[in-house]
Amino acid sequence: MSNSNSSTVNSTPVDLHALSEVTTKPHSFKQNPNRKVIPNRRYKPSRQLISDEIKYLQSLPNLKFDSSTYVSVTSPPSLLPRKHYCDITGLKGSYKAPSNQLRFHNVEIYQEVIKNLQPGIDQEYLGLRGANVILK
Amino acid sequence: MAPVPKEGELPPQQIHYLRDISFNNYKPEPFYQNYQQDVPIAIDLGTLNWRIGLTNSSEPNNIFPGVISRYRDRKAMKTLTLIGNDCFADSVLKSTMKTPYDGPLITNWDYIEFMLDYSFEHLGVVSDNGKLNNPIIMTEPITCPHNQRKNMYELLFEAYQTPKVSFGIDSLFSYYYNSNGRSNGLVIGTGNQSTSIIPVIEGKGLMSQAKRIDWGGDQCQSYLSRLLSLKYPYFPNKLNSSHTTNLFKDFCYISSDYQSELSHILDMDVLEEKDIVAQAPVEIQVKEESKKTEDELAQQSLKRKEQGKRLQQQAQQKRIEKLAQKQEEFDYYTQFKQDNINTPVDEFEDKLINAGFDNLEDFNKYLTSLDRSLKRAQHNDDEDDEIDPAQSWPLVDIPDDQLTEEQIKEKRKQKLHKANVEARERNRELKKQEEEAKIQFEKEQEEWRSRDLDDWSTTKRLEVAELISAYKEKQKLLESFKDRKSAAAQQRMKYIADLANDETGSTSAQSRKRRRNANATIDNDPNDNFGANDEDWNAYREITNSSLEDELEEINKKILKVEDELIKYDPNFHIEDTFAAATKFDWKNSVLHKFIHGPRPNITIAMQAEGLSPEEIAMHPETLKKNHQLHLNVERIRVPEILFQPSMGGYDQAGISEISSDLLRRRLDGNFSPGGQSYNLSQDIFVTGGLALLPGFQKRLEVDFKSFLPTGAPLKVRIAKDPVLDAWHGMQKWANSSDSRNAYVNKKEYDEFGPEYIKEHGLGNSCIFDF
Repeated sequence: MSNSNSSTVNSTPVDLHALSEVTTKPHSFKQNPNRKVIPNRRYKPSRQLISDEIKYLQSLPNLKFDSSTYVSVTSPPSLLPRKHYCDITGLKGSYKAPSNQLRFHNVEIYQEVIKNLQPGIDQEYLGLRGANVILK
Repeated sequence: MAPVPKEGELPPQQIHYLRDISFNNYKPEPFYQNYQQDVPIAIDLGTLNWRIGLTNSSEPNNIFPGVISRYRDRKAMKTLTLIGNDCFADSVLKSTMKTPYDGPLITNWDYIEFMLDYSFEHLGVVSDNGKLNNPIIMTEPITCPHNQRKNMYELLFEAYQTPKVSFGIDSLFSYYYNSNGRSNGLVIGTGNQSTSIIPVIEGKGLMSQAKRIDWGGDQCQSYLSRLLSLKYPYFPNKLNSSHTTNLFKDFCYISSDYQSELSHILDMDVLEEKDIVAQAPVEIQVKEESKKTEDELAQQSLKRKEQGKRLQQQAQQKRIEKLAQKQEEFDYYTQFKQDNINTPVDEFEDKLINAGFDNLEDFNKYLTSLDRSLKRAQHNDDEDDEIDPAQSWPLVDIPDDQLTEEQIKEKRKQKLHKANVEARERNRELKKQEEEAKIQFEKEQEEWRSRDLDDWSTTKRLEVAELISAYKEKQKLLESFKDRKSAAAQQRMKYIADLANDETGSTSAQSRKRRRNANATIDNDPNDNFGANDEDWNAYREITNSSLEDELEEINKKILKVEDELIKYDPNFHIEDTFAAATKFDWKNSVLHKFIHGPRPNITIAMQAEGLSPEEIAMHPETLKKNHQLHLNVERIRVPEILFQPSMGGYDQAGISEISSDLLRRRLDGNFSPGGQSYNLSQDIFVTGGLALLPGFQKRLEVDFKSFLPTGAPLKVRIAKDPVLDAWHGMQKWANSSDSRNAYVNKKEYDEFGPEYIKEHGLGNSCIFDF
């Protein structure tokens, strides 16, 4: 599917300007002369919003001990013994490669895949289960 | 062109085509015709899809993906803002498509404002006072962060000047719609960015005991995408998120018993059923080539064979004719010579010249050559006619002094010939003896077998086992040479270094001595006793390992020979027991092959066996098609399983079942007899949200809950009627009931209490402190 011909495939070309007009025209329901307009709002990524939220919660003096907050509803760590799976196939992974800690299902996976991994790919596999090394 | 499956060959697998977003079937977004003031507007603000509608209708008016595309039209010098389904009106918008979310939270409030404008326009909102004269019911994430709600309040109260607003949680609205509003249940809400588990007691969500797992549909999709790009690193097409979303939705399911299903999913019979082939679009150039059918080909080869035969016959015929002609000629000229034996030489020569010869010599030459060729032909016909020694070599036994010069020459020739013949004879004799010995050996073996087959086969088997272990030993040695650090390789390097060291300067006493004798040749070096010891020769062996390969070959031959005998005579020894069968690559035993290529053999190997060239194989339509295929097998259960074991996806969190178990048995009253909280909750396990559409969710929850609930505890698991839309339906039902009467926050309350203030109505978040 190429970009050039798909617009011509449409038997009736869509008028994008008309569609855009619906959103951008002045709205009868949004006429507040007193609205404070904040120029150039900076948007924080989610990670930062969450850390801000944690800081905010810590700063509250009158927080109830059993209030449900963003932090308190987060699922606690599992207490069950962690099961091990092959990083390559997802099958049962009883063995661990000594060189890069990848788990594998059998000797075939080790010989054919893990021994011949391109540099960096092992970290990608480990990253699937959050066990990769992150350099800062 | 599909090949007819032969006996024992597997039928072709069903192929599913990868689905992408289509830019060709755009449907305009509908505008609502029945707008009324003061009717609450319900907005289910999902991170994937928005569902909006006035609550005087039973269905949401617009359902659109939460995406926005700000496209710069250079000709018109204008930036266009397109939202939701409109972004799929033209493929030029594809690259500028964005979402206002980053993960679970809203990060771009300008986009949200555009999208709300767009929503209200489509709901047909008109106003005469510049305000939005409808109450708003909106969903928000569980324990909505302060910043999010503050921004939303600001937007709704300051930009739109809404009279009143109420926030709730989508899964609780969905439960509200699917129950009578006063019931007990455990609500599992699977969202796009997170999954929540909320106990509901008498219609009200118990937020203090709610839990959230940071894993939802979007994480599933991106996890699948990462898995596939690692599984097929050289896949020619780029997989986008809509491909993987569709793959996830269409083929993933929740396994009711993950561990046991996992251990059998690559078994041939299970894989046959579970393996999914997804085909990406591929361009195959079809060559204009008249393909011949098999019948035609067979006929052609038959024709060719016949032709060859005919030619052979013709040649044979010709040879015979020529021979006959030669014979005739020879007879004629011998007769001619005989007839003219008494004519004088001159006259005879004249006659010969008349007959076409140059002279007498020419004639004689011609005659002898004829004779020779005739004899040769005859000799070919009957190869081994016995030669009578006395006749063939009459001169050999006569002493030289009794012979003339000519005869001595002849004698030498005969001697040579005789030696030749005798050597041949000897060889034949030797061969005969060998054969006899072989027959004798066979006979002994035969006797041994008939006497005690068990003993024979055990001996032979032992022999094979010994050979195999020798083979493996050698192979190990050969293998270890590849590893630079192995002992064998190190030893070899040492030998090489020693050898090199001897030539150049080394200061050891021995080498100095050797250098002093540098003038001595290799042969008479008095210090050189290399080779006196047999082990010295190992140096050569350990430096070159080609001899090792020859040895391997030899052992292999021996193994094959003994195994042949075993197959022949031992009824318990089959082809499958041979060493070759055990070491041969069988794709059916290869986990990796089945994981990547599914339950079908590698077509490339079959093509190589047919003798196609590498280019032909690479350009073969089947190969091209194959290269554009993805196989989903383990992934089908591996991806959804993360909801139950988030550690698989890198989250150190408990899964759905573990949280529910903890909740029902510990955090609530744990009373599973009638009247108890846990008793009431386990009677209604309710699943809603997009992932509830995954097949097997209900079954899995039943299995897992049964494993931790005490015996006799009631258990009922159900899925929402419409897991995706029931949140909106719940909002609509709630808006039209008396439950919502005191649940709204108005502008005045907002100004007084700030953004942290909401009214707790049982279907939303709780206030984090008292007001």
